[in-house]
Amino acid sequence: MISFQKKELIIPYIILFIVMFLSVYPLLYMISVSLMTSGEASNQYLLPKVPRFENYIEVWSSNNFQQYTLNSIIISGLIVIGVLCTSIPAAYAFAKIKFPFRDVIFYSLLLSLMIPEIIALLPHLLIIRGNIFPLPFGPSWMNSLQGLTVPFFGNVFIIFLLRQYIKKIPNELWDAARMDGASHFYFLRKVVIPMSMPIIVTVSLFAFILAWNSFAWPLLILTKEDWFPVTVSIYSFIREAGTQYNLLMAASLISIFPVLLLYFFTQRLFLESISNFGLKQ
Amino acid sequence: MSKIFSKYSEQINGYIFILPAFLIISLFGIFPVFFGMYMSLHKWKVFKGRFLGFENYQKILGDISSFWIFILGLLIMIASYWVWSEYKDKMKNRIYCFVVSSLILLVSLYLINISWANMMEKGDADFLNSLIYIFYYSFFAITTEVGLGLLIAFALYQKLKGKQFFQMILLFPYITPAVMGGAVFFIIFGKAENSILNEFIGIFGYDPQLWLFDKRKITEIMFGIKIEGFFAGPSLALLTSILYGVWSYTGYYAIILLAGLSIIPSDLYEAAKAEGATRWQTFIKITIPLLMPIIFFLLLTGFINSFQAFNHIMVMKTSSAGETMDVVTIEIFDHFWDRVKFGYAAAEGVVLFIILNVLAISQYVIFRKRLNYD
Repeated sequence: MISFQKKELIIPYIILFIVMFLSVYPLLYMISVSLMTSGEASNQYLLPKVPRFENYIEVWSSNNFQQYTLNSIIISGLIVIGVLCTSIPAAYAFAKIKFPFRDVIFYSLLLSLMIPEIIALLPHLLIIRGNIFPLPFGPSWMNSLQGLTVPFFGNVFIIFLLRQYIKKIPNELWDAARMDGASHFYFLRKVVIPMSMPIIVTVSLFAFILAWNSFAWPLLILTKEDWFPVTVSIYSFIREAGTQYNLLMAASLISIFPVLLLYFFTQRLFLESISNFGLKQ
Repeated sequence: MSKIFSKYSEQINGYIFILPAFLIISLFGIFPVFFGMYMSLHKWKVFKGRFLGFENYQKILGDISSFWIFILGLLIMIASYWVWSEYKDKMKNRIYCFVVSSLILLVSLYLINISWANMMEKGDADFLNSLIYIFYYSFFAITTEVGLGLLIAFALYQKLKGKQFFQMILLFPYITPAVMGGAVFFIIFGKAENSILNEFIGIFGYDPQLWLFDKRKITEIMFGIKIEGFFAGPSLALLTSILYGVWSYTGYYAIILLAGLSIIPSDLYEAAKAEGATRWQTFIKITIPLLMPIIFFLLLTGFINSFQAFNHIMVMKTSSAGETMDVVTIEIFDHFWDRVKFGYAAAEGVVLFIILNVLAISQYVIFRKRLNYD
């Protein structure tokens, strides 16, 4: 690779500093606006004259915002748990258990990645309303927690990532465990899951962020505010006439915060899995 | 009984393990496509109406046969690439191969052009325009993302201090939820004349712009020429949403490209150095050819994925931008959410699905010979 001499290293540093600035600028601006008065915000000042931390309190205590945040946490948490419960056994079976049509099933599931979300939304809506077949837990899942979460309990992409990882676990371990009379379930619980912890953490983060960001689906099936997640509430906030930008930004900042926090704890794993996965897609 | 069970326990275990995931994915992942096709053949407001056959498609495309000609054109375009890649080394003279494949390419462009014009004339212009808009979005976003990503990857490849830190910051836009990110872009790219952005471009002598509120085409703003149709380019509002895409994905591609750079074996470079190659020669002869498959791959998959951009565009959409920001996903969503035309929206979805699949075929054709480093 063209390696630069010591003196020339200034060029990559300049590039990276510019890129870094551009990457965080929207966040910095978000912080800055969130501390302004509404007048300052609509006049697009760079910095507030006096930082108003009251904005956060105002947002936090108004308009059911606590409820929305809690909703988002519940929805995302439930989706992560659901996805892990279905994906780990499936990934293990696809990686390690031999059964007829295994690969055919796996690849036909993979094909579903090709289907644009927007096409799926419509039939989903009909399923959720109970128009196609009767649903357990009530005639309709509109405006309900199960409607928000259950459709996302299966994720092919996550199964794929887990399978790639579990495949690397040597087969000898299973052979030895079977000698001792272990069942697949026991082996999965005692050996495979502890060994795959890094990838499990990564996919959980991934699933959490995905769920936290979900927007079109809740917008579609929620007609009442009871289960609004933060994304939908912020969207309706923007669409309101005469929105106070400072409050909007304070709300956005609060709702980005959990994602940022998780990211800082797991960023190394996250980085690794992106650079590994991107090449093998 | 227990004998049978123990004989097949391996298989039974396998099926039990995949059952929950399989059920949910087939119900919510695969079934919708078929059901969408079924819906598209009916008049379907909120509840199912009468059977229409292909009437919805007729309304959208004007003339279904020209849609198939359009698809045929795309396939022939892929075939022209296939001819070129397959025969360029087998023929004695590359010129012949080049001539043949460019002739095929011309034929495909001609087919695409006439069929598109035909559809535009009779079909749903809003929907067809939305396809053009998403094409602009995907094309400009992905080329900029991968291009800049490459530059950043080169910078990160050097021996720098704080590499880990840079990478962490680079991925930050990628994990930012699109709705919140869109909200802050909505403010930064607002219409205030004295906004920071407008002041900033003022330093370079540009007039303040309306950004997300401007539906003029980019060619009109930049060069003052008013043209209609495909070559007019995206509107300034759509361009701003492209900027959001670039902001959020560039770091992601940079990280992947960096990984691509680091798997190029270092002995290649050493050999080149021993032969006395200059840095520039090494770059042109070794780095670029070895990186090309990855770049191509990212461009193509990224292009297909960008066709599904939705969240941030929905958030950043303004009424003054008019329909110029209605990319295909927004258009479909609008049809079944606001206008409650389920059957029609489903038909639009199926058209999109077919186009995406053709793009996926091209991906397969181009990458069937993967380049390996070992």
